[in-house]
Amino acid sequence: MKKRNLPKKESREKIRREKDPIPWRYCLLTLICGVFLVGGFFVAARSHFASIDFGIKNSTLKKQLEDLEAEKRRLIWHKETALSPAEIKRAAKKLGLTEMTANNFQTFGSKIEEKKEKPLTVKNAPEKPKQLVEKTVDVKPVEKIGKNGVSKTEATTAKKEVREKSSTKAAK
Amino acid sequence: MSKRAKKKTTKNPMQTAFTRFMLIVAFFVLWIGGIGARLVYLQINQHEVLRDKALNQRRDKTKEKQLRGTIYDRSDRALAMSLKVKTLYADPSEIEDVDAAATEIAKILKAKPSEIAAKIKDGKTNNKRFVVLAPKLDEETVQKINESLENKDLKKSDLPRFAGLHWKEEQKRSYPYNTLAAQVIGFSNAEDVGSAGIEQSQEQSLRGAVIKGWQDRDRLGRVYDESEEEQREPPKDVVLTISHSIQYKTEQALAEGVKKANAKSGMAIVMNPQTGEILAMANYPTFDPNRYNEFAAEFFTNRAVHDVYSPGSVFKLITYGSAINEGIINPNGEIDTTRGFIEVAGRRFNDPHATKVMGYDEAFAVSSNVAAIKTALSGGRENFYTYARKFGFGQPVGIELPAEANGIFRSPKSWYGDSLASMSIGYEISVSALQMTTAYATIANNGVRVQPHIIKEIRQDGKVLSSTEAQKVQVVTADTARYLKRMLREVVVKGTGKRAQLNGYTSAGKTGTAWKYNAKLKRVDSGKYVSSFIGMAPADNPSVVIAVVMDEPKGGARDGGQVAAPIFREIAEQILPELNVAPDANIRQDSFTAEEIPSEIEPAPTGKTEDAKNESEKPAKNEKSDKKSADSEKTKGLKETKKENKTPDKKGTKKTGAQAARLQRAFEALREQARNAADYSKADFMRRRLPFLLRANGASEPRSSQGKKLET
Repeated sequence: MKKRNLPKKESREKIRREKDPIPWRYCLLTLICGVFLVGGFFVAARSHFASIDFGIKNSTLKKQLEDLEAEKRRLIWHKETALSPAEIKRAAKKLGLTEMTANNFQTFGSKIEEKKEKPLTVKNAPEKPKQLVEKTVDVKPVEKIGKNGVSKTEATTAKKEVREKSSTKAAK
Repeated sequence: MSKRAKKKTTKNPMQTAFTRFMLIVAFFVLWIGGIGARLVYLQINQHEVLRDKALNQRRDKTKEKQLRGTIYDRSDRALAMSLKVKTLYADPSEIEDVDAAATEIAKILKAKPSEIAAKIKDGKTNNKRFVVLAPKLDEETVQKINESLENKDLKKSDLPRFAGLHWKEEQKRSYPYNTLAAQVIGFSNAEDVGSAGIEQSQEQSLRGAVIKGWQDRDRLGRVYDESEEEQREPPKDVVLTISHSIQYKTEQALAEGVKKANAKSGMAIVMNPQTGEILAMANYPTFDPNRYNEFAAEFFTNRAVHDVYSPGSVFKLITYGSAINEGIINPNGEIDTTRGFIEVAGRRFNDPHATKVMGYDEAFAVSSNVAAIKTALSGGRENFYTYARKFGFGQPVGIELPAEANGIFRSPKSWYGDSLASMSIGYEISVSALQMTTAYATIANNGVRVQPHIIKEIRQDGKVLSSTEAQKVQVVTADTARYLKRMLREVVVKGTGKRAQLNGYTSAGKTGTAWKYNAKLKRVDSGKYVSSFIGMAPADNPSVVIAVVMDEPKGGARDGGQVAAPIFREIAEQILPELNVAPDANIRQDSFTAEEIPSEIEPAPTGKTEDAKNESEKPAKNEKSDKKSADSEKTKGLKETKKENKTPDKKGTKKTGAQAARLQRAFEALREQARNAADYSKADFMRRRLPFLLRANGASEPRSSQGKKLET
């Protein structure tokens, strides 16, 4: 009988090589998929923990914001307390300021009148204004001449000298 | 058999492998199926239970109450605000050694260890998890406690790091200005619910919403996720029309005045007549809303809107206003009061001031009862009633404050024969200080009544949600208002209100002194008064209307001109420059003595006592005593009997009535000319000319006791 089903005379190795090659592509693909999968897990885990971390930070910041707002309110409260008229009055009294009452309150008109009447004190006196007329010639005041032909100033200085001399003699 | 066995042994290995593989697959399918079935059961059937269980482990439900809204004054100064505070509480289940913990806590809190230990032990036995140790502490104290109770070995996410102790955030209402405008602002109680004043009336706006939410916590107790069930809205803030500075000055002046007059209480209102804004509303005695627990409930009442009283002579403005507006009387005309009394429905009303023919200006200035009664009678009941209602009496003003009084003003159907006469001089009628102020503000605002209000606007997060628009009603004509202002000016210049003359500004107003009704006696008590002064400044174009009411002044001076007018002056002189009102007068203020004022109005009768002088503004007593008792029964306590006033001794007067009237008219005509003169130099000329003309008429130049010139 003729064996119809007999395989052709081909080497087994050749057949094996053709039919069972190492599926590098599939391996690679599997590896990539695996890496993606594992990577995905890592990313997911990382993002999960990051979200928790961000959540914690977020709530901390929120708490800080609330605390700061509370602090702001407290500061406003302190400001209001410090600026209350009663506190200002107390502080002004400490500084020696007097309260404005009907007795020391003056109208514009009366103020102006008082200013006119009131002489300026030394403290408040303004500096002397600059001389507008410049001296071109030395001028001395005219001296009155006495009966004996000596001026009054000369006579007084001579008298002083005489008195001083007499006092020194007496001391000696 | 052997064949069969052989067959068995020679089983196809592929088949075997396949069978085994399928068995393994089946096992895995069953296993995964089982897991799937279990998962389905857990995820679907047990979903709610398990979810709640999981959430309970990590999730906290939160319930936070937002801060209550702030109350500001007109210049954005916070009058009432809420602050965050913390309450220290213990969770007894977390504390093992109670006595040791109590000793340590007590040392920090400066309390008795036995008390704290008792609290914690009580909580432990009753399975309480919230035992308050120190309520509502401020931030500084909280930080000190945190530092003191620091246990570094303890792993705990929240402060204080002490086993079993926690902080609970709460809020505390605070009033930085303490007693300032206490009755207006009111206070909120321990549950943060408004209990008086604006805090009560604006509860809906000010109340902080309760926000429900949740927080997910990790094993260390740190919050990593949170959410709120409702959208968070910032609280609404209320902005008032009052100015803290004006309010303070008003309160100071009122407090001093009340102490000086030895009065039971006092109230003052400052109002802008053009806008209807209340710039200040003061009551004395007052309270500190920060410590409201320490005060009696009567201190919380805002008497300016809640209490009613018989206004007395200040009500004569309404009497004259109704008659002038209807053309019943000519304001430039004269009225005959020479008899010195008037009888109405069998009741005799005496008047010490009215003993001559005088102008309406003068009659009003000296507060003549006869002139006012005659004026009211000539107008009739309906006219009087209609105008009084138009001015706002007998009905609430509509201010945004709780418990506002309507006042008592009966309809003409229930009036008695002499009711119109009594009402025309401010009796048989009860009004609140705010109603009276509003009526005077109507005249100050050229006859236009502007509804008074105390809330300027309501804000949320800085944005204006609503602002108050006041209703305006023309009550009397501008001409009538001008006449009335002139009459009010005369009261201050030469009448009962001389003490209301201002330094640098012109002023106008009216004094009032009324006997108080005694509920026990069922009639008025001649020993108890309500003295008032309601005025405006500057006189021609008023920027403010100020009302001062004193309840039961007990010192020597008791009438409105002596007790309330100086307070008006004190307030007006301080606030007008602050309101940038330009001075319209240049007067050096003289201090009047008590004797000087009546003598300027009318020379004091000889032998008249201080009491008799004070009674000058009171209505006359009914001479028929039997009828009086019957009347008091009829009115059931409302109607007030009058005490008889002595008629003045005409011999003691410096000038005769006719001569005085003639001089006053001349004086008045010149004053009017000077006032109306547009040119200052002309006015100044008139001022200089006036003393000369008076001397020519035989009158002395008006001078004070110090010999200084009075305002001309």
